[in-house]
Amino acid sequence: MSAQGPACSVDLSHRVRGHCPVGKGPEAVVVDPDRRRAYVACSRSNAVVALDLDRAAPVWRAPVGREPIPVVLDRPTRRLFSADARSDTVTVLDADTGARLVRLPVGSYPAGLGHHSGLRRVYAGNTADGTVTAIDADRLEVIGTVPAELGAGSVAVDAGRGLGYCANFMAGSVTVFDAATLRPLRRIAVREGPCKVVSNPAVGHLYVASSLHGTVSRVSLDDGTVLDEVPVERAPVGMCVDAPGERLYVCNRGAGTVSVLDTAAGRETHRVTVGNAPGDCALDPVSDTLLVSNAGSGTLSFVHRPWLPGPVRPAVHPLVGRPLPHFALPDLRGGRIRTTREWAEKKYVINFFASW
Amino acid sequence: MLEQLRLRTARFGLDVIMINVWENTDPREEAANFAAVWDIGATVLLDGTGEYAARLGITGVPTNVLVDEHGLVRAVGDTTPAELHAAVRELLGED
Repeated sequence: MSAQGPACSVDLSHRVRGHCPVGKGPEAVVVDPDRRRAYVACSRSNAVVALDLDRAAPVWRAPVGREPIPVVLDRPTRRLFSADARSDTVTVLDADTGARLVRLPVGSYPAGLGHHSGLRRVYAGNTADGTVTAIDADRLEVIGTVPAELGAGSVAVDAGRGLGYCANFMAGSVTVFDAATLRPLRRIAVREGPCKVVSNPAVGHLYVASSLHGTVSRVSLDDGTVLDEVPVERAPVGMCVDAPGERLYVCNRGAGTVSVLDTAAGRETHRVTVGNAPGDCALDPVSDTLLVSNAGSGTLSFVHRPWLPGPVRPAVHPLVGRPLPHFALPDLRGGRIRTTREWAEKKYVINFFASW
Repeated sequence: MLEQLRLRTARFGLDVIMINVWENTDPREEAANFAAVWDIGATVLLDGTGEYAARLGITGVPTNVLVDEHGLVRAVGDTTPAELHAAVRELLGED
C-alpha cells in the first residue's frame, strides 16, 4: 500500500465518459439494454441512428420522415416508431436492420409518442391538431383518435391503471384518456409549456416538465392531483425515470444540464453538465449509464453513474460583470453584418434561440 | 414573451436582439419562419456556426444575456417570464 493513501479508492462522482456525434438535432434516445443498442431520432438529419452501446459507435442510419422528434421501441416486435413532425407521419423501422416497414399518416405535426406494450399500442401526440392518434403496434394501423388540446405532444402511459396522459404545450394542460377505449377522461391544468410527461407507477407519480416555467410538477397517478412543483434549470423538455422509480432525470434545454431529482423527496439533488440544448435522455441499466441527446451539439452524452453528484457549475455565469464579447453577425432581414458597435451606450437583451 | 417585452420596454431605451443558433440546417429559412410564426419584430441575427454562442459560454436555448449601457453583461439565463421581468427591472432601474 502506498504511503500517500489507500491502494484503492471509491469514486463518488458521476463521470461524463464522452460525447458521441450522432447526427443533426438529436432530440430523443431510446435504449435496448439486452441488445446493447441505443436509437436516436436526429430531427435535422431526418433519420434514426442506431448505436452500439458498448462501443458508442453507429450501427445503422435509417431515413424517416421530416423532423423526427420522438422515438420509441416496441420490444415484442423489435420495431421502432418515430413521429416525423413535418411529414405528419409515424415511421416504423425494423430495430435490427433499420429497414423501413411502413409510414403511417397521423395528425398534424406529431411531436410526441407514448407506448403501451400490453395493449399493443403506440400513441402519437399531434401538436397542431390537438389530438392523439392511436396505432396498433402489431398490425401497424391507425385505430382511433383522442381529442386533446392545442400543442398535444408527449404521451405517457400508466399501464396498471390503463390510462394515457398527453401534454398539451400551448394549452398548459395534460389530457387524461382511457388507453383502451381512447375516451378522454379529464384535464389537468399545469404550468406553462408542458413539454414532456413521464409516469412512475412505482411511487404513483406522473411528472410533467413545464419548459416555460422551469419546473417539474409531480402529479398523483391515483386522482390527477398536482402534488407540487420542483424547480429545475432553464427549459426542462425531456425526462426519464430509473427502473425502481427513485430518480428522475430532467434535460434542461436552456442550460445544457440534466437535473437529477429524488422522486420520493421531490427535490433536485444535483446537476450534470452535458452538451448543448439537451432534448431527452434514457438509461442503460447494464452499464449504469445515462444517455442524453444534445440537440444543439449533435451528440449523445454518456454519463456513468448519473445518480452521484459531480462537478458543480458556478452559480453565477462567468460572463456576468465582464464586457460582452464583440459580435459581427448577419441580419436575418437583408443579410447586413451588424456589430456590437451599433448598440454602444444602450441597454439590451440578447435572446439566444433556435426554431426547434 | 420577448416581443411583448420589446414593445413594452422600447420607450425606456431597452433593445431586444435575437440570435439564432444551432439551427443545423437552413438557419436563414428556419429563423425567418420562426420570426413570422411568432410575429417577431426584434432584430434577428444569425450565428450559423454557433461560434459566438460558444465564446459566451452559452450551452442552451433559450438563454437571455442582459447588457448595460457600458457594454457589461449584467445577467445570463433568466428565461421564465418572472425571472426576465425581474432582471429587466433591475437593468432599467439603474439610471
